[in-house]
Amino acid sequence: MSVTSWVSDTLVRDPSERRIFAVLGIVTALLVVGVLTGVVGLSFLLFQVSLVGMYALLSLGLNVQWGYAGLINFSVAAFWGLGAYCAALLTAPNSPLGLGLHPIYGFAAAIVVSALVALLIGIPTLRLREDYLAIASLGLAEVIRLIILNERQWTAGSSGISGIPSLLPWLPLTRLATTASVVVVLGVLIYLFLRRTHRSPWGRVLRTIRSDEDLAKALGKDTYRFKMQAFVLGSIIMAVAGAFYAHLNLYIDPSDLVPLTTFYIWIAVILGGTGSNRGAVVGAAVVIAIREGTRFLNDVPAIGSLGLDVAPLRLLFVGVLIILIMRFRPDGLLPPKDELIWPAARSDSSTANRGAAVSDGGEDQ
Amino acid sequence: MIPLQISPFQYVVNGLVFSSIIVLAAIGLSLVYSIADFANFAHGDLMTVGAFSALFSVSFLQPVLGDVGLFGLPLWFFLALAFGMLSAAVIAVLTDRFIYKPMKGSGSIGLLITSIGVALVYRASVFLSFGSDSDRYGVARQGPIPWVRETFGVAVTPRNLVVVTLATVLVVALHLTLTRTTLGRKMRATADNADLARISGIRTSEVILAMWLIGGALAAAGGVFLGLEELVRPRMGFDILLIVFAAVILGGIGSVYGAMLGGLVIGMVHELVPLFNQWGILPVGSRYAAAVAFVIMVAILLVKPSGIVGESG
Repeated sequence: MSVTSWVSDTLVRDPSERRIFAVLGIVTALLVVGVLTGVVGLSFLLFQVSLVGMYALLSLGLNVQWGYAGLINFSVAAFWGLGAYCAALLTAPNSPLGLGLHPIYGFAAAIVVSALVALLIGIPTLRLREDYLAIASLGLAEVIRLIILNERQWTAGSSGISGIPSLLPWLPLTRLATTASVVVVLGVLIYLFLRRTHRSPWGRVLRTIRSDEDLAKALGKDTYRFKMQAFVLGSIIMAVAGAFYAHLNLYIDPSDLVPLTTFYIWIAVILGGTGSNRGAVVGAAVVIAIREGTRFLNDVPAIGSLGLDVAPLRLLFVGVLIILIMRFRPDGLLPPKDELIWPAARSDSSTANRGAAVSDGGEDQ
Repeated sequence: MIPLQISPFQYVVNGLVFSSIIVLAAIGLSLVYSIADFANFAHGDLMTVGAFSALFSVSFLQPVLGDVGLFGLPLWFFLALAFGMLSAAVIAVLTDRFIYKPMKGSGSIGLLITSIGVALVYRASVFLSFGSDSDRYGVARQGPIPWVRETFGVAVTPRNLVVVTLATVLVVALHLTLTRTTLGRKMRATADNADLARISGIRTSEVILAMWLIGGALAAAGGVFLGLEELVRPRMGFDILLIVFAAVILGGIGSVYGAMLGGLVIGMVHELVPLFNQWGILPVGSRYAAAVAFVIMVAILLVKPSGIVGESG
């Protein structure tokens, strides 16, 4: 199997997607050239890679909930924050708990705590109508934020926690190179795991629930249990992303737990293509490009001289982007196509389908 | 040290004022939920837009009208309120015309997510036009009305009275519109069952237009009152959106009267949290007032998802 056919089989499934990957390739090439020529600092690039990796984890987590099971979870920022706070409180020597444990305990606590909180939130809300879940989860996320903000004796409140240790200090790499590699490894593992689960019988039940819950019930499936499993799994991935962020940024405070962070992740998933893991990763990269790219707007003389604040411009851009995607490309950039078909089963039928698609002018389905 | 004794009735007065604001916001949210059939996350930021439009109009109304007063507040304030209500109503209608209406096919979840985008656009526009600082309407500070304070031991300012009275007037006017006019009956029919209403020959486009006008105007009134009682801030509307949702869910989604009742209860509970804490009923203080409202909301969703007023099922 040649490299090109491997790429077209596993990543690019459609001629219309080739353009998107071409753009991504060009941007990556430009960044590499930028680093080689010294225009882009290597540590800056590594920090951005780490951020994209973290956002990709969050998007993958939300994709399990919304993309696989159709659960509207508006508490992404809260689970992210729980993970970050577990890592910070257990590992930082100057946290109010003062334990100074090894980071592995932080990650373990993030997984356990987020699974428990997801169960606690899921038990009352997952039986509700889908839009009720949206409102209830946003409300409960605000409760979590208020608790972290107000219970100073446990969480240090608004002053935040600093002095979080970095990950794997024994690796012969710079700190940012280490964190970037950690998130890439984490991301690949979780990506492969999720791709496998999506194709498994479990993933197929979730897909049925998403498109027709009554049908899934009629088939004898305990839909509530499946939704709960998806909710817990997604929340754990979000918390792992949060724990990673604590070790990337070395400082955490409650100001990142606001609903806007949740909406960023929603854009990443919808923009990438609801239900598509590839899309979740690409969407995360685009959102980081928007978030970080707008930081430099003030350096552009034309905008800098207007004296505009960049933060509201970014807010405007994000809002317009949500409206435009929902209106003109609700399926996203890389909507899921035949990922769910087991590779062995696909080999015959997909070639036939592809031939048919080309003869139809290669239109997007 | 003498303990600062606040009369329990003071909390009730604060509760009535806050409830008035929540009721006005909840009616519009409930109308959109029942007639357009989606959870409109832009409703809170529409309140902000209304409050800032009113603030904008103060700059040209105040020099013209000067210090002429009405019910203890300057006349220009009432005109600014009207201006804010009118602009929010127009913006709500335009938003529907250009954003929600072309998205008919995308279902209630598509509209819900789109409304988040709309909310961010509203808020960004307010930030870009007015900056990120909080502001005031510039109504002169007034002390509590002396005779009320002497008789009942409760501080009630003229602006408290104006907020509660105007909110009551608006709610009664809406009630009369819904029950006494043809348009009102059409609106109730559409809210009850949109398909049935359409089959019976009701032009739903007219109903939807009225819904956005009424919802936008009432949201703006709520926003202006919130700005009058506290501060005019770019995040003010979004910050109370969840409390408004709590009120709508408590009352029963789709019921305007439920929204009024839910708004009254949630607004009151929100302000009574410190009192409950004093009495040992609640283990948390006023910092968790919003959290208490959210927990009530989830509890209602669990026990009676149709709300107090709604029917079962």
